[in-house]
Amino acid sequence: MKQTPKEEMIQERLKPGVVTLEGFLGQDKRHYHEIISEDLDRLKSLGKSHGDIAERIQYFTDQAFEFADEAGIVDDHYEIQYQTERGKLISPFMDNVFVPKGFVRLTNLKNGVTVEWTPLNIYMIKQYGFFEGKGSTHRVEPDKLIKAIF
Amino acid sequence: MIILIINNVVILAGIGGFLAMLLVIADYFLANYGDCNIDINQGKKKFTVKGGSSLLSSLAEKMVFIPSACGGKGTCGLCKVKLLKEIGPVLPTEKPYLDKDELKNGVRLSCQIKVKQDIFIHIPEALFSIKKFRGKVERIIDYTYDIKGVYIKLDEPKNIEFKAGQYVQLESKKYGKVKQVVSRAYSMSSPPFEEDKIELIIRLVPDGIMTNYVHKQLHQGDDISFTGPYGEFFIRDSKADMIFVAGGSGMAPFKSILADLEKQQSKRRIVYLFGARTEKDLFLVDEMRHFEDTLADFTFIPVLSQADEDSDWKGKKGYIPPILKDYVKDPDNTEGYLCGSPGLLAVTEKEMHKLGIKNVYYDSFG
Repeated sequence: MKQTPKEEMIQERLKPGVVTLEGFLGQDKRHYHEIISEDLDRLKSLGKSHGDIAERIQYFTDQAFEFADEAGIVDDHYEIQYQTERGKLISPFMDNVFVPKGFVRLTNLKNGVTVEWTPLNIYMIKQYGFFEGKGSTHRVEPDKLIKAIF
Repeated sequence: MIILIINNVVILAGIGGFLAMLLVIADYFLANYGDCNIDINQGKKKFTVKGGSSLLSSLAEKMVFIPSACGGKGTCGLCKVKLLKEIGPVLPTEKPYLDKDELKNGVRLSCQIKVKQDIFIHIPEALFSIKKFRGKVERIIDYTYDIKGVYIKLDEPKNIEFKAGQYVQLESKKYGKVKQVVSRAYSMSSPPFEEDKIELIIRLVPDGIMTNYVHKQLHQGDDISFTGPYGEFFIRDSKADMIFVAGGSGMAPFKSILADLEKQQSKRRIVYLFGARTEKDLFLVDEMRHFEDTLADFTFIPVLSQADEDSDWKGKKGYIPPILKDYVKDPDNTEGYLCGSPGLLAVTEKEMHKLGIKNVYYDSFG
């Protein structure tokens, strides 16, 4: 696949040991464009957009921030905990954006589905529709995410 | 025919690549930019360097340390300086890290600027007092299952001067999949009067390049370096009551501050609320109890948010923000000092302001 120099640099930054220890691709050997394209197609078939998802998980993250790192209940049936961490990570997409470190865990108490995401996940989903490669430590599966948060 | 075209393309690409490589090698070995002057803050500091290196490394060579988390690889975007005289176009490797205002005002990444001519820059003056230190890991203590204390004995320079509460930027080395050096901020937990060493308290963050380096790669006797001291988080000189709030490795600056206050025989009223999930997350409790004995008016209160049901924990349970009010006597005469996760900091600061405490201090570490 023909790439611009910027795209080549982004692909490098998605690999392990550049922005995070494990990187964002997991065992996925595909170019990030292909990963994004497949996930966006899947979302379309499920009737959601990456913007809908980013907005929803940002909402939960903001609510959970008020719990000072402890678990709490949001909207009656979402148990959620945001473990905030000091420092920021730079977006691997070469866009001059720094995102807080941390991990969010949400359990939908109605159906028992638990999902996790990071603030960087929210940003990459919102801006690029990037849910990370298959097998990546912080990949969020669109199907599971939709079951948990809607 | 197609094979012939492909062959020609490959040959041409090869020749192009070879010529480009020759240019890079020639530039490295043959280009002589001579001596170049670097002027910082309109003459506040001036020196001459041999041209050809990056501005970041040229400044570091003259002991001016611009914060950088990636060691000059152009991946963190932190080493910004303001150019007072233009020296050429902004490089494509810099643009993604600079916003419109920065581009307009001559801000550049010092790691991407090659010193080829005289350069005039502006940086915050606080950066002048920062030094690079080299030392050896003297010992590593397991405080909890995910928190370690790392003592570093200084080799060069032999001593460090800092205010209790300040932090350093620790530098990692390449390991495993990590092909670059990174640096991260950690508060010093040793007191300033132990000038020949520092202690850092570091919690393992999953997927963290630096914390995995410290927890899994670093051993007693290893060489290690850092820059510092940085930060405005230190005790203000007043007679006000103080409330300390920390969680996890946020213990670090308070360990340093309390040892320093003990040495000064401080008479100030201090309450220290330390948040943890379970008893397994508590550490340095005996040391804190020692300060209760030696300081005139100090109380240490560990607070567990998820105390095990079968434990015999008799201390405070719950979260810190709702119980803060129990320890504030006179809000107008109270200072808040916070260190911990951003979540704990934000909620605690809000609660302190609600209680009428105006002066609340913490380091956000960017």
